[in-house]
Amino acid sequence: MRLVAAARPYVLGLAVLAAGALLANAVAGAVDGLQPLVVAVGIGALVGNTVGTPAAAEPGVGVDKLFLETGIVLLGAAVVVEEFLAAGPTVLGLVVVAVAGGLLLAELIARVLFRLDGTTPSLLAAGASICGVSAVVAIGRVLDARGSAITFAAATVLLFDAVTLVAFPIAGEWLGLTGRQFGVWAGVSMFSTGPVAAAGFAHSPEAGQWATVTKLARNSLLGGVAIAYSIAYTARSATEPGVRRLWAEFPKFLLGFLAVAAIANSGLLSPAALDSIGRVSDALFTLAFVGLGFSIRIREMREVGGAAVGAVLVHLLVVSALALAAVRWLL
Amino acid sequence: MVSDGVGGSDKRADGAEGTGSPLADRWLALDRGWQALALGLGVVAVHAAGQLAGVL
Repeated sequence: MRLVAAARPYVLGLAVLAAGALLANAVAGAVDGLQPLVVAVGIGALVGNTVGTPAAAEPGVGVDKLFLETGIVLLGAAVVVEEFLAAGPTVLGLVVVAVAGGLLLAELIARVLFRLDGTTPSLLAAGASICGVSAVVAIGRVLDARGSAITFAAATVLLFDAVTLVAFPIAGEWLGLTGRQFGVWAGVSMFSTGPVAAAGFAHSPEAGQWATVTKLARNSLLGGVAIAYSIAYTARSATEPGVRRLWAEFPKFLLGFLAVAAIANSGLLSPAALDSIGRVSDALFTLAFVGLGFSIRIREMREVGGAAVGAVLVHLLVVSALALAAVRWLL
Repeated sequence: MVSDGVGGSDKRADGAEGTGSPLADRWLALDRGWQALALGLGVVAVHAAGQLAGVL
């Protein structure tokens, strides 16, 4: 009974997500070429910015991130290891070059071109080059950045998450990219994992898988980048990252994704079981993307500073143009 | 907007005070990445059991 009482605060929000997901599937089923995940984000954003999220629904709606990460863990069942091993070194190379080059480029643009100082350029660089808001927060902790600097950088990243979520699928369609090319391009260029996966699946299921896997490879570099930043800031009295702190920031669901991919490719599960797991993953993604839409706050995005937006915009244009050329040439 | 799961312990407001259920408290105290890992492997385990039982 205590367990039921503990779950009660989440019921309304979960019902809202479920209703949004059902509506998204119904709308996408009725209109040819419309992806349920894109409709799900649209429904969430529309309701969140007009009606808002009722206080009683907030705990349940906040479970969207857990749904997203569980959906990614289960996406491991759809991974064909041979296919990824074949393209793996190329994609991994692209990811490493994009993260390392992107960090340096963002620092340079923010400090030299836009005259931003303090930890803000590093926070923007981490958010744009690794994994969105979580990278901003993680690097912010490592650098002992001020709370206001973290909030400012996070808001800038969120603004670009919303814009790229719409712009990338349109650009991918217009450029005539294959599923693999688009997925890797989005995975290398966009910022946060949720929007990357959503943009990928908006193009095609194949693009969604490649986008997610590419983005996960980028996320896994966070620990190394945190160490690099800590060393770079040592002279400026940054705190030691420490193995425990880095482990605390490591995305544990990545381990689940790898475990499920290993199980799926071991031949233990039947095709019917793998299909069913894929359907559970799809359902979790749809629920998560309704919540993703709810968290897009247009009003808050207007408060972001011009210099930060300029710096991240230049960075995004350069990185995405180079990444586009690379995926067209290599994949 | 949903960002990444890195470091997302995502403590619920009521989790900090205790829900009265030790199981729920333990679950809420977990890092969100571990929660997702546990849920994902749980789903796979249910499918494996279903396959063994001849349902899938």
